[in-house]
Amino acid sequence: MAARHLIVGGGTAGINAIRTIREEDGGASEITLVSAERPYSRMVLPYYLGKQIAESHVYTATPASLAAWKVKALLGRRAARLDAAAATLTLDDGANVPYDDCLIATGSRAVKPAIPGADGPGVHCFWTLEEAQRVVAGVTPGSRVVMVGAGFIAFTILNAILAREAKLTILEIAPRILPRMVDAECAGLVSRWLTRHGVTLRPGVTVTRIEEARGKRRLHLKGGEPVTADVVIMATGIRPNLEWLEGSGLELSGEPGGGVLVDDHLRSSVRTVYAAGDVARGRNVVSGAHEVHAIEPTAQEHGRVVGANMAGRDVAYPGSLVMNIVEVCHLDVASFGQWEDEGAEVFSAVRPERSQYRKLLFRGGRLTGAIIGGPSNDMWTTNDVGMLKGLVYAGVDLSAWKAHLARHPFDIKPAFLATRTVTSLLPRTILGRPSHSPELPTSVVVT
Amino acid sequence: MTVNVLVFHPDRCTGCLRCELYCSYMQTGAFQPAKSVIRVAPMEGYTSYAPYTCTQCAEGWCMTACPVGAIHINAASAKDVIDDRCVGCKLCTIACPYGTMFYDADSQKAYKCDLCGGRPACAEACPTQAIVFEAATTADWVGDFAADRTARVLAQGAA
Repeated sequence: MAARHLIVGGGTAGINAIRTIREEDGGASEITLVSAERPYSRMVLPYYLGKQIAESHVYTATPASLAAWKVKALLGRRAARLDAAAATLTLDDGANVPYDDCLIATGSRAVKPAIPGADGPGVHCFWTLEEAQRVVAGVTPGSRVVMVGAGFIAFTILNAILAREAKLTILEIAPRILPRMVDAECAGLVSRWLTRHGVTLRPGVTVTRIEEARGKRRLHLKGGEPVTADVVIMATGIRPNLEWLEGSGLELSGEPGGGVLVDDHLRSSVRTVYAAGDVARGRNVVSGAHEVHAIEPTAQEHGRVVGANMAGRDVAYPGSLVMNIVEVCHLDVASFGQWEDEGAEVFSAVRPERSQYRKLLFRGGRLTGAIIGGPSNDMWTTNDVGMLKGLVYAGVDLSAWKAHLARHPFDIKPAFLATRTVTSLLPRTILGRPSHSPELPTSVVVT
Repeated sequence: MTVNVLVFHPDRCTGCLRCELYCSYMQTGAFQPAKSVIRVAPMEGYTSYAPYTCTQCAEGWCMTACPVGAIHINAASAKDVIDDRCVGCKLCTIACPYGTMFYDADSQKAYKCDLCGGRPACAEACPTQAIVFEAATTADWVGDFAADRTARVLAQGAA
């Protein structure tokens, strides 16, 4: 069994891998962590921006907790080069780290469009903690914030910007908001809701240039009047950090989205090297296709599966479910699985007066995708979110219920219970054993 | 070792909803069934009922999904939300495939069945022993019942 584990990347996948190795081996192996940043949760940065939590709340590990896990942490160091044949990682300071097995979990970075002024002062991304700190400093009460991009990332910080009492305008190049998370009908429902809450949405707008003028930013638009902002936030997409693996000997995908090719144990083409999270082209549990999901739940499951396998277990992974949820101004929006599928049979319903939406997508008797929207103070929204996940994930046979669900897309609970979805789900665990309590390092809890 | 779990006997349930009332009081300090984490599902046009809540599943999807470790296993072996850690990001609500995570819009935190720390109010409130807290392996307590009680109306196309 491998004695020297090397984890490259201290995000969700990396930290879950480390925690799982220690759950399995109790400290028997050597673990080295190489991470450019201190480990923190990107998922909770919006709540730091919204002043709901202190900066200390975002950290998922500290030097002390890593020491307690017996992890040799090389923080602030970047991986520069991997030689898989020689089983050696070279760092940005030239140091070599030999390993018995290695996890590539270097995640993604935010990318800005290649337009003049995108790198100027007052134009930020919101992806890393450092970027979040700059946005925190810039967004003050009464300031005018223009967000470029109306996708999931933008929507996760929408509440926080409003909580800082800024005026928000969102520009989106696509003809509608949330183009990769929900369908047009749900996007329309969300748009109407946000407009009622004082957010200015401008889809179908292309920014051509950003100019700095007297401490403000002027965004020039294709075929429209310029927009002035105190702060610009670019939420225009992310890209996996893979370039450093050129020449490593690992097989990378040439397909759109790229990623390290992995098997059902999340091993790369080199058996001693694993990949997880945003850099791994893992299996989609519904479609069976291999793709990069770049979502937190996939990174978490990938990390745990790799950790168990590194510790000597033999854990095959059936794949991840694409899913997202975001709350904007107390409206919940979530989607699961193959919600954009031309070949699917679709049942949908909207209750405009209550801002509720459901969309169910079937392949045969199986629910393969779903979209849900509704007020977050409506208990049914939250419960249905979970049951839709369960139905898509478990893949139970809903043939007998399709006629009913076609007429009543909102009435999923009887179908969920009567198809014994719970029976199907109960034996399923990611690691083939019950999960442990997270045992957060106490230094993280109390600071 | 078998621990105590909530066992449901839906055939004994009268739909009196005392469990929801007591549960909401334990969870929030107010009698408001809308905030109960046990839900009684009506079947066959409100003639039979299936109480349903968290199974305390082995995976603990809510717990493993939480990005800040805000869900842990408490002394009663229940997955339990630590309020001070929860930021309200709702990842647990999409991770739990059972639909038994809840979100309190007032506190902006997730919450769920924590087995009341070892003395579940729903079981104490139930007058017909449809809800029992006893040593058992957790199971799908209502699936067969729901299948049976929906078959006739489904066949009539009016479930």
